[in-house]
Amino acid sequence: MKKRRQKRFQKFTIKMQKKLVVLFIFVLLAFIALSWRLVQIYKSKGNDYKKQVLSQQQTDSKVLPFRRGDIVDRKGSKLAYSEKVYNLVIDAKLMNSDDGVHLAVTLDSLQKYFPEVDVQAIRKYVSENPASRYKIFAKKLPYDEVEPFEELMKTGVSVNSASKDKDGEKKGAGKLAGVWFEEDYQRRYPYNSLACDVIGFVQGNNAGFFGLEEYYNSTLNGVDGRQYGFMNEDAVMESSIRPAQDGNTIVTTLDTNIQSIIEKHIAMFMQAHKDEYREGPAADNIGVIVMNPNNGEIYGMAGYPVFDLNNPRNMDGIDLQYYMPASVSANAAADDQAENTAENTVENEAENVTAEVSENSAEVKPEDTPEMKAMNNIWRNFCVSDSYEPGSVMKPFTIASALDSGKITGNETYQCNGYLPVGGHDIHCHNRLGDGLLTVRQGVAKSCNVVLMDVAFAMGKEEWLRYNKVFNFGLKTNIDLAGEANASELTFNENMGLTDLAVASFGQGFNVTMIQMAAGFSALVNGGYYYQPHMVSQIVNAEGAVVEEKSPRVLKQVISEETSAKMRDYLSAVVMSEPGECTGWSARPAGYTEGGKTGTAEKYPRAKKNYLISFMGYVPADDPQVLCYVVIDRPNTPNQSESTRLATVLNKDIMTEVLPYLNIFPTEPLTEEEQQALADATGDFSIGSDLVSGNEVPEGAEGEGEDVEAGLNEDGTIVIPAEEEVKLDSAGNPISVNQIRYDPETGYPLDPVTGEVLDPVTHQPINGASSDLPDY
Amino acid sequence: MAKSGKSAMDVNLLLAVVVLLVFGLIMVYSASSYEASLKFNDPTFYLRSQARATALGVVCMLIFSKIDYHFWRKFALASYVVSLFLIILVRTPLGITRNGARRWLGVGSFSFQPAEAAKIAVILFVAALLCGRDGPKINANMKKNIMAIAVIGGIPSLMLYKLTDNLSSAIIVFGIVAVMFFVATPKYWYFVLGALLVLGLAGLIVWVIASGELPPDAGFRLSRIRAWLNPEAYASGTGYQTLQSLYSIGAGGIFGKGLGQSTQKLGFVPEAQNDMIFSIICEELGLFGATAILILFLILIWRFMVVANNAPDKFGALLVVGVMGHISIQVILNIAVVTNTIPNTGITLPFISFGGTSVLFLLTEIGIALNVSRSIQV
Repeated sequence: MKKRRQKRFQKFTIKMQKKLVVLFIFVLLAFIALSWRLVQIYKSKGNDYKKQVLSQQQTDSKVLPFRRGDIVDRKGSKLAYSEKVYNLVIDAKLMNSDDGVHLAVTLDSLQKYFPEVDVQAIRKYVSENPASRYKIFAKKLPYDEVEPFEELMKTGVSVNSASKDKDGEKKGAGKLAGVWFEEDYQRRYPYNSLACDVIGFVQGNNAGFFGLEEYYNSTLNGVDGRQYGFMNEDAVMESSIRPAQDGNTIVTTLDTNIQSIIEKHIAMFMQAHKDEYREGPAADNIGVIVMNPNNGEIYGMAGYPVFDLNNPRNMDGIDLQYYMPASVSANAAADDQAENTAENTVENEAENVTAEVSENSAEVKPEDTPEMKAMNNIWRNFCVSDSYEPGSVMKPFTIASALDSGKITGNETYQCNGYLPVGGHDIHCHNRLGDGLLTVRQGVAKSCNVVLMDVAFAMGKEEWLRYNKVFNFGLKTNIDLAGEANASELTFNENMGLTDLAVASFGQGFNVTMIQMAAGFSALVNGGYYYQPHMVSQIVNAEGAVVEEKSPRVLKQVISEETSAKMRDYLSAVVMSEPGECTGWSARPAGYTEGGKTGTAEKYPRAKKNYLISFMGYVPADDPQVLCYVVIDRPNTPNQSESTRLATVLNKDIMTEVLPYLNIFPTEPLTEEEQQALADATGDFSIGSDLVSGNEVPEGAEGEGEDVEAGLNEDGTIVIPAEEEVKLDSAGNPISVNQIRYDPETGYPLDPVTGEVLDPVTHQPINGASSDLPDY
Repeated sequence: MAKSGKSAMDVNLLLAVVVLLVFGLIMVYSASSYEASLKFNDPTFYLRSQARATALGVVCMLIFSKIDYHFWRKFALASYVVSLFLIILVRTPLGITRNGARRWLGVGSFSFQPAEAAKIAVILFVAALLCGRDGPKINANMKKNIMAIAVIGGIPSLMLYKLTDNLSSAIIVFGIVAVMFFVATPKYWYFVLGALLVLGLAGLIVWVIASGELPPDAGFRLSRIRAWLNPEAYASGTGYQTLQSLYSIGAGGIFGKGLGQSTQKLGFVPEAQNDMIFSIICEELGLFGATAILILFLILIWRFMVVANNAPDKFGALLVVGVMGHISIQVILNIAVVTNTIPNTGITLPFISFGGTSVLFLLTEIGIALNVSRSIQV
């Protein structure tokens, strides 16, 4: 039996055993190859794959958006804040779950609660993309719209589902599913266009553009939070929340009331002089800065036109063509056929914002369209982003430099014969007949170019340049606003010649920005302390604690206290002297003493007779508390060089309202007329008369004397004799029509409508004596 | 050990199997708990199912290790025929479709894959055939040898491929037959030739596909080959599983993220507890853990070799060789798929991947091998 079995059982031969070993070796080799392959995967792609795994995980987590900080004014009024809004998100998978019993109910309720949402589109999407977990169908819904729906979802029963109970149990089980609301924030500007140039706006994902929104972008922004899903030990999905860190709030030095006063008067001005002499706005640009000269705080800063910060792209009511790149010159060509002009405003970094906008925000139109460029011109802040030749407002700086450096004492007298020969040319004064012997004080009050040139020559170019630097010309003020112009290339350097020095003494030939002028002028009158101009006084975190206190910073003492006192004396002479003796009398607000300086700068190209008129004033004259700088670029008046009063009167109107608001009390007695004017002005200022509008004034009788590249002119040329009581409208235009007035400087009659000097024989306007010469 | 008579069963082999089983249960739990809690609201769903099958398998293993393996020889042909019949049954209403593939047979709550039964039946049948009266003749004659391989391996493989659309099981069954014949015959060259032929043919097919000669809609197997050649290009489709598996290996690094710390199993790697469990092992235990598993399998295979070489007769030896071939092929193919060394075919990792039928029949095979080891004459 055993043998038979043995026979049946064959041996596993040695040969087979050997083959089995070979097989094992094959298996071994295969294992080694696979191990090597594992190591290769790890070595060659390990890090990439690791990152892939991490990035996949993030799809499981949810972003919790931070709230961007507020921008508030000095009194705490919110200028900008972020409001929580909700995105309607559809989870198609959840909506389709349980064989779609929830679908109809959910869609019906959506239709009912969100009539503006396209429910058909949702239905289509849900059926076509049943696996989709996330699709936004409505954006930025306010809380009060979302809240009732969320309440409904919580209670779980809707009217619709109840009615369907009759049809069958299963249908009745349907509840709202697959809808949730994602939190987001929407930036809001409660004052709409107020301080638009200063505040700036926000694009897309909390990216600030222009102004404070851009400059303080990182301060205002917080850090997004995140909701993570993870598996706990029981393999149950749990979520952990890292809350969002909300952004900080910035407390600005702006005062909403002062800002509104400024903007109101600018708007009135723009309305009064619109289309006055030529088709178009009342001025190419207008800028006003109101600040505290004793600490550099900006109370208000405005330009024109304004735009709605809540909808910065909405340019309704603004004629964009006047702000397109070529339009300024084209505009100018309308009344003066001219060759191509070279813009004398510097192209600065603010221009580049266009590119940034289009990079960061998909909704922005291509940057190179004229419309886009026009919008950028409107968005930019003229007060810090544009530079220009300052004109006579520069004169006090020249005088102060000379005094402070000891080159003059202030007791000198200068003979003005109406011109000064410099480098082979006669550089004229506004008054070609000459003002005679003038003290320094009178020179400032009358804005005499000859006196200034003499003073500059006495000082020399080295001193002039040194003080130029001391007053930070050619440097940025580093005010905390985006897009400050850098005019360093447009200032004089060691290579300046004698003629350069001569014209520089009265503010031509180099560029400044408004904020540079205002900051420097503050130092001239406040005792010599140069404060960095600033917009923000405090940074407060989301919990309300002060994170950073931005106290006023004195950067340097630019001139001595004594020099500053002298300057206050000289500058008060500009406003407080008898009208025949000064240029700025019309700037004085009734009841106050004021110091200041007028300016009428001729723009490039000089032949075009385009002017930038300005006035810098401070109140009270002996103890400056508030400073106001008004710049009007190319006023829409027949004779721009004589329109300085537009600036002085705008300054007066603003000051008249701002001073009582700041609790600065009047010190001077009021005349009857002034009382009457104030009474008339209560409430709102009346829009100015249209006396000057619509008058065709023959042009072409250009002055013969293009002596230097610039002619000479006087600020506020229409100097009205004191005894003549001329009624002025709010814009400072003479109202009296019937009286013939005479230019006190020339004795020639004045055109009653335009105020131009007329030839006594032909009664045609002439430009030789005073009207055509730019103020230097 | 007794001087004569039977020795105790091979403890090393048993130990390797037990370690693999325990490790497998741990990994199945780790890899499946997330999906299980989502699908069944019970993180231990897959674990308990696998534990039941394992327990049943261990019982089977112990029973089979007690039954003299010669006993099964009588049923060799019968089991072969029955397994073929079971494959056909899949196409009848008794068949169950899961994940889009009709590969299961089931009555009530009980279900199993005929493919797994076919593997053990083929091992038994080939071993019996080669030890039968005609065995030496077949082995001595090349022509008969090749014919036998083609017929015995070919029939169930073709049926598995055609009837259950299960290419991987077909490959394994055919591989088992080839390995057993390879060991039993004294010849080498035509096996080498055959292997080269298969490799060459595969290479040719891949080359044709890679050069884009075939239309893009040429069926899912071709698209799998395309995805194998460039998984990144098919990341959202056919290449997704492979790519996620590679990500896991990369993410694990040398020592891994730690047991239970895989993030890829959270819905990213499909079949994480099944075909792709090795990638989760790589992620959680790193190259270190993966190598340890490979070494464990190598110990197992080495013990099979030792047992076979010491088996009292050719029948016992060939049974063990069959089991050895089965496990080796499956381990190699599974890891090759996970590492994207070959195109994706659904092959499970023995003892570790989730799958009741697989572990049950594997343990049965181990039981037979253990019985062979007990019969070793010392």
